[in-house]
Amino acid sequence: MDIEIAAETIGHIGSFPITNSLLVTLATTGILSALAVISSRKITPIPSSLQNFWEFIIEAIYNLSEEIAHSRAKIFFPFVMTFFLFIITANWLGLLPGFGTVGFKEVHEGKQVFVPLLRSINADLNTTLALAAISAVATHFFALKYLGIWQYLKKWFSLNPIFLFVGILELVGEFTKLISLSFRLFGNIFAGEIVLATIAGIFAFVVPLPFYFLEIIVGFIQAAVFMMLTLVFMALLSEKPGH
Amino acid sequence: MTLIMEILNEFGVKPVLLIAQVVNFLLLLFILKRFLYKPILKALEQRKQKIVQSLKNAEEIEKRLEAVSKEREEALRKASKEAETIIGEATTSADRIIAQAHEKAQKDISKMIERSQQSLKLEREKLYQDIKGELAGLVMVALEKVTGKVVTEKDQKELIKKSIKQLES
Repeated sequence: MDIEIAAETIGHIGSFPITNSLLVTLATTGILSALAVISSRKITPIPSSLQNFWEFIIEAIYNLSEEIAHSRAKIFFPFVMTFFLFIITANWLGLLPGFGTVGFKEVHEGKQVFVPLLRSINADLNTTLALAAISAVATHFFALKYLGIWQYLKKWFSLNPIFLFVGILELVGEFTKLISLSFRLFGNIFAGEIVLATIAGIFAFVVPLPFYFLEIIVGFIQAAVFMMLTLVFMALLSEKPGH
Repeated sequence: MTLIMEILNEFGVKPVLLIAQVVNFLLLLFILKRFLYKPILKALEQRKQKIVQSLKNAEEIEKRLEAVSKEREEALRKASKEAETIIGEATTSADRIIAQAHEKAQKDISKMIERSQQSLKLEREKLYQDIKGELAGLVMVALEKVTGKVVTEKDQKELIKKSIKQLES
């Protein structure tokens, strides 16, 4: 089975292309929003099962961000938490049966190609690039907010030629961060999809099971890595110099 | 630049899709923040406050309990001390009363003994007199029988005189 490196377009609304990964993105958002609304409708002092589950995750990550960002944790936390929840839900959702296998055949440039209806959304560079861009923009926005324009600019530009050179290197590093964040996530998940499809192509029973376990772990790790990196970048960049 | 565009195109990156993803994520961020993080964090904070408050209360209760038990102990000790003194006083007063009663009884007994002795003495003297009188009568009767005549006043006197004389000689 062939997996396209780009997400396939399954339809159009006006001129707006609907890709299979965009469809799943909407589904992921819907699932998470529904869970949030359902569990927040009845918050009790003594938590029930769903509230317990959310409390466990939220408290753990909130403590983590407090440890790294101290007083700024309250501002960073929603971003960091949402990155984690969105990515891990998307990754695990992409492992469900039907992803990459349910679809339709389409004649494309004279060839008949299979177009899957559902696609693991982080196996689409659009998603990961968007996430990385949000992470980067938010990081710099918070840095500006906490440092002020003058100190923020001083991070990159200096009259001292050595520091100026280092600053410019770091400026380039900011773009590298964008690329590394997006391609790490994309590469891991996309590779996982290919591995699963290949193994399933060889023998579809039992044999893919260890790889599914592996992908579950990879899905968690990638979500955690994205979250941690964003948190650390935010904390580092908004840190006052000489601190 | 064109190389980057080419690469991005190869990966299927389209500005519209990128923007769609960004908008979607920000929407999700807003929803989760509003409906999940805020209430859960609030609940966690409230629970923390409650636990802190409860711990403080528990400490206070323990302190108060300790004070109460100390107070009780103090009261008990005081009461037992009082009881001891009361018992001591009662014992000494009882001893005194007993001693007094003893003394009085002894006095009474000795008085009674004395009185009875006196009365005994009187009785004995009276008895003696009576016996004496009767004996004289008896002697007279015996003499009458012996002498064969009634002893008159005169005889009596003579007899007495005789006997006295005999006694004197």
